[in-house]
Amino acid sequence: MSFFLSLLLAGISVGSIYALVALGLNLTFLTTRTLNFGHGSIMMICAIVIAYFASLGYAVPLLLIGSLALAVFLGLCVERIARPALRGGGSMGWVVSTLGFGILLQGIAAREFGSQAVAFPAIIFSAADFFIVGGVFVAYQYLVVLVVSIMLILIIELFLRRTRWGHAVRAVSLDAELGVVNGLPVKLIITMSFVCSALLAAVAGILVAQVGGTVDPAFGFNLVLFGFVAAVIGGMGSSVGALVGGLIVGILSKMVAGYVSSAAEHAVAFALLMLMLAIRPQGIFVQPEVNKA
Amino acid sequence: MISNRYNRLTRGALLAGVATLLLAAPATAQQDPIQIGFTTAITGPFNEFGEGYRRGAEIAAEQWNARGGIDGRPVALGMVLDDQLVPDRSVQNMRRILDNPDIAALIAPSGSGPTLAIIDMVEADGRPMCNTQAQTPLIIWPNGLDQPPRRNVFSVSIGNTVEADKLGEALVAGQYNHVGILHESTGYGVTGAEILKSRLEELDPNVTVTVESYNQRAPDMTAQLARAQRAGADVLVVIGLGADLAVIRRNIARLNLAIPLYATAGGVTPPYIEGAGELTIGTRAASSAVMAANPYPAKTQEVLDAYVAKHGRDRWWGPDQNRAQIAIASTMLTGYDCANLLFSAIERAGSTDPDAVIAAMQETRDFPGASIESISFSPEDHDAMTTAGLTVYEMQSTPAGLTLVPRETAN
Amino acid sequence: MTALRSHFTGVITHPWFVVALAAGLAFFVMNTTTGTVQILTFILINVIFAQSINVLTGLGGQISLGHAGFFGIGAYCTAVLTRTYGLDMAVSIPLAALLGGAAGYLLSFPAGRVREVYLAMMTLGFGMIFYEVVREWVSVTGGTMGLSGVPSAALRTASILGVPLNQIAYFWVVLVVTLIVVALLSNMTRSHVGRALFAVHHNEVAAGSLGISHASTKRTAYTLSGLLAGLAGAFYAHLVGYLGPESFAVHRSIEVLVISIVGGLGSIAGQIISAAIFTYLPEALQAFAEFQFIVYGVILTFSLIVLPKGIAGLILDPPRFIRPSALAAARARKPELVWNDSVGRVAVKVEGLTKRFGGLTALDDVSLTLKPGNITALIGPNGSGKSTLVNVTCGIYEPTEGRVMLGDTDISGLPDYKVAALGVVRTFQDPRLVPSFTVRENLLLGAHCLGRQSGMAAALALPAAMREEAEFLAEIEAVMELTGLSDFADTAVDSLPYGYRRMAEVARALMARPHTILLDEPAAGLSESEMEMLGGIIRKMKEAGLTIMLIEHHMDFLNDLVDDVVVLDSGQVIYRGDIDGMRKDQAVIAAYLGQEEEEEV
Repeated sequence: MSFFLSLLLAGISVGSIYALVALGLNLTFLTTRTLNFGHGSIMMICAIVIAYFASLGYAVPLLLIGSLALAVFLGLCVERIARPALRGGGSMGWVVSTLGFGILLQGIAAREFGSQAVAFPAIIFSAADFFIVGGVFVAYQYLVVLVVSIMLILIIELFLRRTRWGHAVRAVSLDAELGVVNGLPVKLIITMSFVCSALLAAVAGILVAQVGGTVDPAFGFNLVLFGFVAAVIGGMGSSVGALVGGLIVGILSKMVAGYVSSAAEHAVAFALLMLMLAIRPQGIFVQPEVNKA
Repeated sequence: MISNRYNRLTRGALLAGVATLLLAAPATAQQDPIQIGFTTAITGPFNEFGEGYRRGAEIAAEQWNARGGIDGRPVALGMVLDDQLVPDRSVQNMRRILDNPDIAALIAPSGSGPTLAIIDMVEADGRPMCNTQAQTPLIIWPNGLDQPPRRNVFSVSIGNTVEADKLGEALVAGQYNHVGILHESTGYGVTGAEILKSRLEELDPNVTVTVESYNQRAPDMTAQLARAQRAGADVLVVIGLGADLAVIRRNIARLNLAIPLYATAGGVTPPYIEGAGELTIGTRAASSAVMAANPYPAKTQEVLDAYVAKHGRDRWWGPDQNRAQIAIASTMLTGYDCANLLFSAIERAGSTDPDAVIAAMQETRDFPGASIESISFSPEDHDAMTTAGLTVYEMQSTPAGLTLVPRETAN
Repeated sequence: MTALRSHFTGVITHPWFVVALAAGLAFFVMNTTTGTVQILTFILINVIFAQSINVLTGLGGQISLGHAGFFGIGAYCTAVLTRTYGLDMAVSIPLAALLGGAAGYLLSFPAGRVREVYLAMMTLGFGMIFYEVVREWVSVTGGTMGLSGVPSAALRTASILGVPLNQIAYFWVVLVVTLIVVALLSNMTRSHVGRALFAVHHNEVAAGSLGISHASTKRTAYTLSGLLAGLAGAFYAHLVGYLGPESFAVHRSIEVLVISIVGGLGSIAGQIISAAIFTYLPEALQAFAEFQFIVYGVILTFSLIVLPKGIAGLILDPPRFIRPSALAAARARKPELVWNDSVGRVAVKVEGLTKRFGGLTALDDVSLTLKPGNITALIGPNGSGKSTLVNVTCGIYEPTEGRVMLGDTDISGLPDYKVAALGVVRTFQDPRLVPSFTVRENLLLGAHCLGRQSGMAAALALPAAMREEAEFLAEIEAVMELTGLSDFADTAVDSLPYGYRRMAEVARALMARPHTILLDEPAAGLSESEMEMLGGIIRKMKEAGLTIMLIEHHMDFLNDLVDDVVVLDSGQVIYRGDIDGMRKDQAVIAAYLGQEEEEEV
């Protein structure tokens, strides 16, 4: 029983990490229907600057603020870089631009901070802080990730559903051209989505680095792949979907790893992805788009 | 038309160049440097080892030149190419290096993937190569440990086999009943786990072993740990990199799993020590013995001094001003040893003829190394690292902070 | 600049130039270092690999993030066959390509269900699963330790048909195969296969209306793409001689996608140039020493800002989809309109048709008959179900109840492309031409369902295929004459005024040689004189015996054209008869008046 609970708990913890990554990916998908392949690098660089400067003795709260400011700047950069490719429509240039930006950030990090993993400071809890539920140890660090994910999802959902700006974002996500016609500030909305997405990346990067304890220049890319999986399974563009998708991926892969074989842990996530796409491409939480003839 | 003329021009220029070289050859032979070449990850997110051993090799070349070179000829790192740990690029780079007849000897790339990708090519070429880092036994012994090694490949790295021997000894001495092995799902991890398992079963038939694999950079290893726990493991061994080991150690803490943790050389690297902090106390890891000696062996001290003079106490050196971090042995020091061994063999051979240099390499006996105190090769054994070259360290909390203490002295 | 570009394009895409370049390379490799030969071989492999992306993404519009999977399937297949089973490379490499093609074919079924980002994710999943399988299936792939000892030219262990291959000979083999691949692809692109792929890429519904099945076209694209990637992978295996799973991770999928996108999707020449640049790039970047990785990132980040349409978009003319030789052959023929054999003989009957979308009933028990050789006008206020009726008739929607009969055959539920192939062709309210195609190319697309030549025949440019192409091109001349488009034959549609686009769509429908044609508001947005011309064309169709259905609002336009009128309101037929009777019909007046009142409010 405690074996099962441990796996379940680990699945939820990892799942909420995936969800957090998926959330950021979702935002830019909503407004531009593209994926940011540089997302992982933004997570990495925002975490690594904290780790690096903290090791030089700078105050962590100050670094947190600096890191978030850096994220805003990077979000603006990504938007600026991907913009020509977005406008082209179907050129898929965004794959190259966003990926290139990610590589650039990795290169800079590797040169400036070295390629070896840098220790990330324990910001709120240490890895050894836990409480016990039903004989299973629940780590506070994981709990923080889960709570932050849920909070962010609530904020995003409230924003999208209750505010005028949120409605504008949803309108743009349905039809950007129509948005322009209707006088919506489409350009601004897209820019803001990149900025918010980068901020989410920074938050995810900081929380994940905290859980693992280190961050290095190659950090993030693999997480983004699983973030993609989580986003697709929950339904691209849906925040609740990102959480549920993340949890499904996390729990399923832990269960398979625990009960079947640890070697199948990652393959099973991708098998689930393909199965989901073949059966219900729009994901769990998004209604199918009406196919207009 | 244009391209035709271009071709003619370049070919003409090439011919002229070759002719000049041929004519000038006897006159400049004395000044032509003896060159070694290599491809490794010098930039990009995986450059820690590659850049480290490039620096070591550079120091070796400088020392030789300061002593007047080899028989009056200077030495040089003739071709140093960057592959960023991408196997295809290693192949392209190594081919380019092998095309250069002036390159007398080679150093292997960092990482098992790139090394395996080029190893057959290098063996077919026949020039001597020294391996700094790649750990799989395939690099030296392609047909099994009981077969002859590759003719021209030598190694100073901490191979899977010797690491397994050392850890096996320590585990059997610890009288554990059930060993849980967690390994990364790479060539290094997989072979390491296989060898360690069979070694343990050889050494003590009563020991049972559980093997679990994990992917590098996975954010959580709970499933693997839980499986090992369920199987009844009373000790854990991790074969993998420091950063992943940190994740595992933190998971162990979260699961409140109170069993001893052993690790391969990843356990002495900064990512583990810094990534898991206080939790590392008690972790035991096998790594180079030279770093345990106090004072360091003379050669090690000499190279470390040269490093500090050249680069200062930077991230390869580590945080402690007085003692370099143990991990420097498998980056900078192995790079130094490889270059130094090759230059020395060329000097002893009196030529850069591959067969002569290989013969000289095989005759290397008790050669003072920086990463291994005493290096010996023979026609049957091209692997310099032995269990005597390794020490099991244990992380202890001392008044000076966290310190890796050699187990031998600790006991 | 444009003239220079055209000139340049003419030179570098000229077969003789390509042959001369290849011959030059074949000669050059005999006098250079093995390192250079190896790089050149890598370039050729990447050329084939990039073409595989180009077929799928550039032509077919299907993005893939998992091509390393196909590449790896080819590589491991030939490696295992030669190394373990001792097969000759002459057998194992084609088998490897076929296995790649088979994998592509299989993937096309799940992949056909999704598009865009979802497709990217599905293919990513495919690539990742392949990668995990390679790592775990140790007995076959060697697992994470990889597979060494694969016969390789670099190690002098390779031979083909018993002849040992050194690196130079291996380069020649790969060069010849690359040339064949490029030639076949260039033929195929400029045939019905390439045009169909591009049509599906642009608009699946419009392609369906021309008799192009999007499902089978995509299957072709995946199969072909998998085949090419498998081929490239097989050559890779015998070049390097060692296969490790890291060589087939997601990075390789992304790398080839980058090559393809930066090269310019759709352009075969662009792929070749880009493959050469990106394969050589790491070599060139060695000069940047400690900044190599950063410079690589910078290049990728900014390449598409500098070159929004890729390298091909900068230095080459947009690719064309008709062979010049076919055009020349067509000029020798007499332009002639050809009509369908069953013209005026089969009636289209709609019986008790109901179509519901969720709770909304768009068509409610509609019955009507299009009498052979008659012009039937379908009239009704906006939202009355006119377009839905056309969509159901043409197979875009399946009817909820009722059926559609073509003569005595029940065609309800048939997919759109089959309905089109049976001679029932429609146009759209908004012209759905392929914007980057010329008028002529668009019209040739109309003849797609008439083609009898296989894709293979087209790729090999067999005489029969060329004859068929010339026949259609000659017919296009006549159709363009009729529709007043002759002056714009080689103008890309997206630069044509609206009226001409409408006309081009009608012309394209005619090229399908229908016996029944459904025109959805063909006169909307036309000028007075254009409308007159359209009227003339419709009369000409009627003279030829075509059955015509016309959705229109312009009563003046309909007045002297139509034989029968059917009026729909809220999905129901409220009037059937002649046009004069309609004007007096109370229900019709009410329906229209009601609408006007609403509009005033």
